[in-house]
Amino acid sequence: MLDPLATDSAPPITRLVEAFHRLPGIGPKSAQRLAYHVLRAPATEAHALADALIAVKEQIVLCGHCQNVAEQNPCRICEDPARDRTVICVVEEPLDVVAIERTHGFRGLFHVLHGVISPSDNVGPEDIKIAELLARLRDIDTDVAEVIVATNPNLEGEATAMYLSRLLRPLGIRVTRLASGLPAGADLEYADNLTLGRALEFRQEVR
Amino acid sequence: MLRHRRLGDADRIVTLLTPARGKVDAVAKGVLRPRSKLAGHLEPGTQVEVLLAQGRSLDVITQAQTIATYAGIRGDLDRLGTAMYLVEVTDRLTIDHTEPAAFELLAAALERLERGDGAHLLTRTFEMDLLGEAGFRPQWDTCVVCGAPVEGEFVAWTPSGGGVVCPECRRRYPEAEPLAGTTLKVLRAIQRGPYEQAARIRLNPALAAALERVMHDLVRSVAERDLGSQRFIEAVRRTAESEPSNEAISADVPPE
Repeated sequence: MLDPLATDSAPPITRLVEAFHRLPGIGPKSAQRLAYHVLRAPATEAHALADALIAVKEQIVLCGHCQNVAEQNPCRICEDPARDRTVICVVEEPLDVVAIERTHGFRGLFHVLHGVISPSDNVGPEDIKIAELLARLRDIDTDVAEVIVATNPNLEGEATAMYLSRLLRPLGIRVTRLASGLPAGADLEYADNLTLGRALEFRQEVR
Repeated sequence: MLRHRRLGDADRIVTLLTPARGKVDAVAKGVLRPRSKLAGHLEPGTQVEVLLAQGRSLDVITQAQTIATYAGIRGDLDRLGTAMYLVEVTDRLTIDHTEPAAFELLAAALERLERGDGAHLLTRTFEMDLLGEAGFRPQWDTCVVCGAPVEGEFVAWTPSGGGVVCPECRRRYPEAEPLAGTTLKVLRAIQRGPYEQAARIRLNPALAAALERVMHDLVRSVAERDLGSQRFIEAVRRTAESEPSNEAISADVPPE
């Protein structure tokens, strides 16, 4: 089979194809299509792409409080005086902050772990931002009364949530977990036993 | 199900342990999408019935139905750590399409963990049986080099040799370590089985730690790598150091 990366194209094009191919979810054919799209696009578009790529590496920092990616340290959310400083929502990745912010239902602060405990991938508690969370909660000036663990409801997410709960219990902070049950528009027939069991266990009064 | 790894944007390759075909990889399409009908059924450590469509290189999972979720394990951090270890050891000690008996061993160990059996002895029994199935049956009665019977208050053993060595042959294994006679007796009892009898052994914390060290060294020697789940179990133990253990603690040694 012909290797699309082993083209006879000029070296700059090959370099660009290889660079695109390294991105997640981009196969050799897609990489080639993207590279030729950039080649055909106006120079301004290529410069804008290059500038955006460099800016994301040079201008984005980790917030010293919540560990989220941000343009400034502390980030916009941590600096906002309107935020409820008694609640911290712990999430796996920066994209989870975006998802929760989109709900407009949470006015507290965040903490991004940048991963989840996953023993099969050799990721342990010391490899994610748990020490930073503990330091934050042990701070003498902290007002935090509740930590909401919003890790994904899978094996690794639950292991992380239970580990955090055990770690935070001695600090006298309430640790809660996001409710788990059926997604909107779901089909009971296809629900797994665990999800359906939890949906039944944590059922709510119809208002 | 043993493990999964990401494939593209929304798919996963899952590693399944089957009763008939041993360990097999299969593709679960769209499983990372929130409305996926497969996602909830394909979690590591759960027992699941799947329908596989034969693919060109990998089979594709077309239907999945959970058989056992082990809710008790999933709601208890200590037991969850043990289950993750059992699953990882199975994955590391088995080769694709071989050792169908590993399925029964893992299912039995998870059942015992779920019903609340002590984690130490069920894990040691599992490690011993799985090593045997994988062709690495540890040798506790006779020297791994010359076959001479080995007895004593302290004997030598070697993970790379897979068991005890007599004083004569010890020279060949400079890395051989001392093994207390009490620990050796329990290792023999666990190997002799059956589990129900081994499970009656009462361990004191020092003996439990010694057994764990020996079996981990053996597993690591065969797997040729450290196990992430062992690191997790140790991290969990550090958080629980101030809390009392719920496992039977005593210093009784079983009769041989």
